[in-house]
Amino acid sequence: MTELWVKNACVIDPIRGINGEIMDIAIRDGRIVESVSDRADVIDAHRCLTLPGGIDSHTHVSGTKVNFGRYMSPEDMRAGRTKRRGKMHVTSGYYVPTTFGNSYRYSAMGYTTLLEGAMAPLEARHTHEEFTATPHQDMLANTLFDGNWAVMDAVREHDVRKAAAVVAWTLNAARGYAIKLTNPGGTEAWGWGDDLTSIHEQVPHFAVTPAEIITTLIQANELLRLPHSVHLHCNNLGKPGNYQTTLDTFELVPDLNPARQSLYATHVQFHAYGGGTWRNICSKAEEITRSINSKPQIVMDMGQIMFCRTMTMTADGPMEFNLHCLHHNKWSNHDVELETGSGIIPVTYSKKSAVNCIMWAIGLELALLTKSPWQCLLETDNPNGAPFVKYPEIIGLLMSKRYRDEECATLHAETEKRTSLWALERELDWHEIAVMTRAGQAKALGIASQGKGHLGIGAEADIAIYPIRTDMVDPAREYRKVVEGFQKTRYTIKRGRVVSRDGEIIVDGANATFWVNAKVPEDIRMENDKEFIRRFEQFYTVRMSNYPVQDLYLPRGRCIETEAML
Amino acid sequence: MRVILESKVRKKPSLPIEAEAIIPRNFLKGTDLVVFEGNKERTLSELFWIFVEGTAVSPENIEVVLKGDTSRIKRVGEYMDTGTILIEGDIGMHCGNFMSGGTIEIRGSADAWLGREMRGGTIVCRGNAGHYCATGYRGEKKGMQGGTVEVFGNAGDFCAEYLAGGTVHIHGHTGDFPGVEMRGGELLIEGDATRPCGNMKNGSCVILGTVHDLLPTFEKSGTHLLPERNLEMDVYTGDVANRGKGTMMVASRALRR
Ligand SMILES: [Zn+2]
Repeated sequence: MTELWVKNACVIDPIRGINGEIMDIAIRDGRIVESVSDRADVIDAHRCLTLPGGIDSHTHVSGTKVNFGRYMSPEDMRAGRTKRRGKMHVTSGYYVPTTFGNSYRYSAMGYTTLLEGAMAPLEARHTHEEFTATPHQDMLANTLFDGNWAVMDAVREHDVRKAAAVVAWTLNAARGYAIKLTNPGGTEAWGWGDDLTSIHEQVPHFAVTPAEIITTLIQANELLRLPHSVHLHCNNLGKPGNYQTTLDTFELVPDLNPARQSLYATHVQFHAYGGGTWRNICSKAEEITRSINSKPQIVMDMGQIMFCRTMTMTADGPMEFNLHCLHHNKWSNHDVELETGSGIIPVTYSKKSAVNCIMWAIGLELALLTKSPWQCLLETDNPNGAPFVKYPEIIGLLMSKRYRDEECATLHAETEKRTSLWALERELDWHEIAVMTRAGQAKALGIASQGKGHLGIGAEADIAIYPIRTDMVDPAREYRKVVEGFQKTRYTIKRGRVVSRDGEIIVDGANATFWVNAKVPEDIRMENDKEFIRRFEQFYTVRMSNYPVQDLYLPRGRCIETEAML
Repeated sequence: MRVILESKVRKKPSLPIEAEAIIPRNFLKGTDLVVFEGNKERTLSELFWIFVEGTAVSPENIEVVLKGDTSRIKRVGEYMDTGTILIEGDIGMHCGNFMSGGTIEIRGSADAWLGREMRGGTIVCRGNAGHYCATGYRGEKKGMQGGTVEVFGNAGDFCAEYLAGGTVHIHGHTGDFPGVEMRGGELLIEGDATRPCGNMKNGSCVILGTVHDLLPTFEKSGTHLLPERNLEMDVYTGDVANRGKGTMMVASRALRR
């Protein structure tokens, strides 16, 4: 039995409605309890800001795509090098660091749970191996269904139950957590050298549209009672004028679940562009947030970009090809048979580029114009918009108009004309930041019931104590202190153990991987479906029996079982 | 001031020495510098006999002379900005990394990555240079950006890859792919070259020897007389596969196969 007693903590715990109370937290064997014995280890938080462990609900840290980003950027391995020290492995890399680099830096920032944004089911083993090597965060995997042939067949036949059964089988086989759609239909079209430009355009050879894939899977998701909603990277990412596609997509979404959203729209900054070319691109954040503000069934995340050199990596293969044609830099393109694809290119976001400045402003506009912080979560689509180590700066920008003004003064002159950022006075408070970095994520991902994202009795003792005294810092003026404070926790506690102290990792990690087993009735299970098996054996280059990920790949797997309503 | 470093006999002479500390500026405050031999930290005096002649008040008056077996010493002159380094024998990899000023003279041969990502200054190598002479490191899109590298012998493969500025002059032959990905600067090869300038975007490359396997993505745009050598040159533009605006000149006789 191990016990820990955190006293004098200034707690903000939005899920439980606690906002800045000084309280003590008792922990026994990794969970929060009413009280502990007097033999417990004691941490005095000295009234510092204490939050549930941070949760990133969309990041790219593991899997084939991320790893290929590493192959492609040996120059990045010259950055961010740290030596082996105590319990810490050697790390290197800045925008695509080694797995341990990711894990340590997230931990230093108080993050204890991560959702990998895109896992191709066929390549799930690699993702899970890298999860194991990202030891300080619990991991969840968005599983790609955007170009899944069996799903598209079911969509064409208007068979929601069948689509749900395919999803259930695949999630179980890949040890995945949620349904991810990346440019639905478009990535499959890219397999044929094409892309889709509208959600009502048909995928070649499948006679289904992105809109049909999205709506069918939203329904299937609820039939399976999955903890998370459909997680969507909309069509037409990064194209001037794409905001209309995004709005059209939002219009498709019914409100099906009282406990959470029915659609999670990711990195919406990349989907909120007006204009028709790169020359006249402008912000449509007002239109997007007007839609979000009237639709509680949708939660989005920012997809903030920051000015730096980074790597873009996504299952959206055609989009990456377009970017490659623009930059003429190195490029990787990858097809995953019967499922999806991916592309990777390096980018540098520069203040000299009007387009980049407008993108930067749009991300902030989205966060400031969305009324409820529960509906706009903070992330950069790491590393696509910026490496996650930039989060503290984003927090600073959201909390301080002065900081924004100072940054705005250094931007390309066009930015002011084509965005509304200059006019936005709103400054987010500590509570809203806590929502946007952990509580909102826990609710959106459906893991609050697993004891994540809050500090209630029975919750997992994932806690971040930042060296910030909220009663003594005025974030609007002293934004530097805010940024510094969020860069390095005083203590990061993971399942009741202090894992990081002042940025130093002090123990070996022992993370868990959450995955979902949605139980469907015997008669529609894919392993009993002769036609599914026949097509699988015909088209895949692997046998169906060799496809599922063995338990060996998840040394600390935590299965969430659901009873499907089929 | 002259600092002479004469390498001592080592138990394991093949162990590389990481010697980025050896730049003239560092000797202003004495010779108390550390380097790594393999993974072990060593003081300079453990590895070298050190002789100091004269004094200096500013780093540009400091000359560092390396003697003895220096072929496994890496990163000499890294980030050097002024002064002189004279290497009497061969030198190890990465000599003159990121150098921005001063002069390095190598009487022997240099190993790979000589003058990589150099910004300014002069490197003269009397012998041969290894692969990746005057380039960017793996994945780096801007290689050498300024200064001069002159090699009197031959250079290995990928010479002047990603060259973005400055001058590279190879008196001998180069290996495969000299000047690939060039985006600026000047490359002069007096000897032969194989598959030069692939994916070149900008800059100019002159080859006086024989070109083997000229890439088909270069467009011949005319001829040009090099008066100082009285040589007629075929002028090519490319690499058209990469919207290239580079110029490659090849001695006309070289293409008469
Ligand atoms: Zn993403």
